[in-house]
Amino acid sequence: MALFPIISNFQHDFVLLLVPVDTENTMDEVAAAAAHHSVGRRVAPRPGKVVRVRRQGAAQFFPRTARLHETDIKPMEALEFIFCDS
Amino acid sequence: MPLLERSDWYDIARSTNWTPRYVTDEELFPDTMTGAKGVPMAAWEVYDEPYKTSYPEYVRVQREKDAGAYSVKAALERSRIFENADPGWLSILKAHYGAIALGEYAAMSAEARMARFGRAPGMRNMATFGMLDENRHAQLQLYFPHSYCSRDRQFDWAHKAYHTNEWGAIAARHTFDDLFLARSATDIAVMLTFAFETGFTNMQFLGLAADAAETGDFTFASLISSIQTDESRHAQIGGPALQVLIGNGRKKEAQALVDVAIARAWRIFSLLTGSSMDYATPLAHRKQSFKEFMQEWIVGQFERTLIDLGLELPWYWESMIREFDYQHHAYQLGIWFWRPTVWWNPAAGMTPECRDWLEEKYPGWNDTFGKAWDVIIENLLAGKPERTVPETLPIVCNMSQLPICAIPGDGWNVKDYPLDFEGRTYHFNSEIDRWVFQQDPKRYRDHLTLVDRFLAGQIQPPDLTGALKYMGLAPGEIGDDAHKYAWVEAYRGRQTPKKAA
Repeated sequence: MALFPIISNFQHDFVLLLVPVDTENTMDEVAAAAAHHSVGRRVAPRPGKVVRVRRQGAAQFFPRTARLHETDIKPMEALEFIFCDS
Repeated sequence: MPLLERSDWYDIARSTNWTPRYVTDEELFPDTMTGAKGVPMAAWEVYDEPYKTSYPEYVRVQREKDAGAYSVKAALERSRIFENADPGWLSILKAHYGAIALGEYAAMSAEARMARFGRAPGMRNMATFGMLDENRHAQLQLYFPHSYCSRDRQFDWAHKAYHTNEWGAIAARHTFDDLFLARSATDIAVMLTFAFETGFTNMQFLGLAADAAETGDFTFASLISSIQTDESRHAQIGGPALQVLIGNGRKKEAQALVDVAIARAWRIFSLLTGSSMDYATPLAHRKQSFKEFMQEWIVGQFERTLIDLGLELPWYWESMIREFDYQHHAYQLGIWFWRPTVWWNPAAGMTPECRDWLEEKYPGWNDTFGKAWDVIIENLLAGKPERTVPETLPIVCNMSQLPICAIPGDGWNVKDYPLDFEGRTYHFNSEIDRWVFQQDPKRYRDHLTLVDRFLAGQIQPPDLTGALKYMGLAPGEIGDDAHKYAWVEAYRGRQTPKKAA
């Protein structure tokens, strides 16, 4: 367990944000931490959608259950958080 | 006793280059300080300043200007502009004074460097007056807001801002250190007087003076006009310096200085002037949009000046022009959402009529920035103001020191522009900011943004309270909505433009 800062680039938001997460967090938990600072603040909630995580510019999303320490994401890397159907 | 006409003696009186006997020329004028880029002393002697004045003339004119500005202030002491002006206008004043007043002292040091290390006698002469100008500007812009301090502590930030680590102050210091405090005499002539003053501040001051008169703040209008007349004189130091550089085979070096300076000036200008013109200025007093202003003055006029001098347009010119459509809207959203972290009360500029105006001036605004404001308005109407203030920091650009931001909503195009250098990853707002860093990485590499400082543990406790303390924002100074959210009531009982789901 270790504090891990990432950069949130949340779909439809206007600014990159500093979001502290934990190396034990799954991608869904990382997405929830990022959503806390954007959704319902400047981004309208989208019921029925899930938020998936990908590296900036990547086409593929990280698996939702993957833990942060299992990925090659670096501290302070810009991650995109995208509304998806599943 | 009959006196000679100035034109009869000026040229010979200011021919002050000489051959030193006790030290070498390099010791007297080190290239680090002159920035002459190997152009020899003799080649600088063709420098011909377009505006000529003598010391007695200068003193007489400046005395009249000071008397004018101070007497207008004295005469209008009872005009109650403080009580009667729209709160958005007071916010413009506070932001302006805090961002500019002590920057004028920095500019005075820069002019002093040209007065001492300029290689052209005419440059040294002009810069001596420029130095006196900048001192006057700092004094004026500290004295005028001081009379408001007893009624509103935020006006104290005219003097306080630069002494703090407030994010806007860091951005202003970083920009001005780069453009003129930590530069050679020639670089200052190009970057401060030509790019920044001719390109941006001269026009900013013209626009501000007109806005002030329109708002009924004749004291500020007179102050700004008084300053602007100085700016339009000493801003002419840079043009002939560029001619000398270009004429002696240094166009590439000159172009690089201009390109860096315009890139940096544009950022700080879009933050301050963009948000002032399109949001804080009351709708009834808006003459033109910020985009129209930029197109008229920067594209229409400054572009021609660049070309007439024999320079190219900066490589990023088209990208910068595209930013006229969105960058300042993003900064405005940031300023308002992070309003506890500024020394003025940001005006939302978000009445339904304001939104109509924004949509008219910036087609598509409602589907982009409007979407973010919709959510904010929903929260305010629902009595959830805590959802309209930040719980974390925005990522700050390693060049501009401003949040990395762009278009939200349907036009979402926000992106990090990272760069790895010597084992550290830097983050930039755009290709332009990253390019500036790459021109001289060692110059910029050691600076820590506010976010870097937070991650390094310099901000304690690591939350908003700690951040406000770090930024020096005391109770009574912390920003809040300029109109105390009165504008939100216009949306009550009606469908907001696009209701948040």
